[in-house]
Amino acid sequence: MSDTNGFSGGCQCGAVRYHATELNDDAHICHCRMCQKAVAGPFISLVSVADEHLTWTRGTPAEFMSSGNTARGFCPQCGTPLYMRDLDGTKVFLTIGALDEPDRVPPKNQYGNESKRHWFAALHDLPGDETTTEADAPESAARIAATNHQHPDHDTETWP
Amino acid sequence: MSAEATLTGGCQCGAVRYRAAKAVQYVICHCRMCQKSFGNYFAPLVVVEGLEWTRGEPGFFRSSNMARRGFCRDCGTPLCYLGEDGGYEVSAGSLDDPSFGEPEKQINVGAKLPVYDRLPDIPHHTNLQGEAAFNASVVTYQHPDHDTADWPLPKGGHDE
Repeated sequence: MSDTNGFSGGCQCGAVRYHATELNDDAHICHCRMCQKAVAGPFISLVSVADEHLTWTRGTPAEFMSSGNTARGFCPQCGTPLYMRDLDGTKVFLTIGALDEPDRVPPKNQYGNESKRHWFAALHDLPGDETTTEADAPESAARIAATNHQHPDHDTETWP
Repeated sequence: MSAEATLTGGCQCGAVRYRAAKAVQYVICHCRMCQKSFGNYFAPLVVVEGLEWTRGEPGFFRSSNMARRGFCRDCGTPLCYLGEDGGYEVSAGSLDDPSFGEPEKQINVGAKLPVYDRLPDIPHHTNLQGEAAFNASVVTYQHPDHDTADWPLPKGGHDE
């Protein structure tokens, strides 16, 4: 999948940024324990990009070898999980939440169902605020907005 | 929630380990700050009391004046949210017991990504034999889901 602008993304602090001219049509989530741990959640969400379509536009990610053939990339400054890749592969699986526009690549498949949390099917039934921080706690929201150190969800010429 | 249980957890590589005396509440947060710091659709956070770091210490990124986000400098795993009041929330997926608890509520639903409600309906990968064969071939360098006397483990580490 591609469009004229491609897909940018990066870590929370903005030290590491990338741009993909196009993404493969393989967005998915994985419930396996390795993926759970890497992003410290109930599952990981990934979409792959061929090596030739990916450019690191700012900084360099660090990598941890989570197994013999698989590296997990992250920002050494803020920790944001950025990708996984096989050492002998020709593509990189980007974490969807680190894309500037995560909802452009909805997942189409689930893996690692042996580790799927039993409550997963009821995710959307959880009680929740129907409002936002802005409505619930306007003072806190204003303070966060005024001191937000998160990189914006678009490419920037200079940062910070 | 098993409020009196002793809770242990840590990062994927095992450089940072923690223990908490009490879990108070398991919350899913949809805000964009949490999405980005986990590289995912939301942050799964368990409010805890009595947190102590039992091996190593996390790095922290000050994402705004309201929060610091703790992560492992060696492997990137998101570990905690530290509020300005000193209260800790640990990432649910970093707990040793992946079946621990269930999310009790959602917050900042106004920022929820549309795909969230559809996640449980995504088709399952059907090549289960291939998946099992792949999983059987993995030589994991992930820290086990329990405390260990020694670290690092004999194998694993960084791609350096």
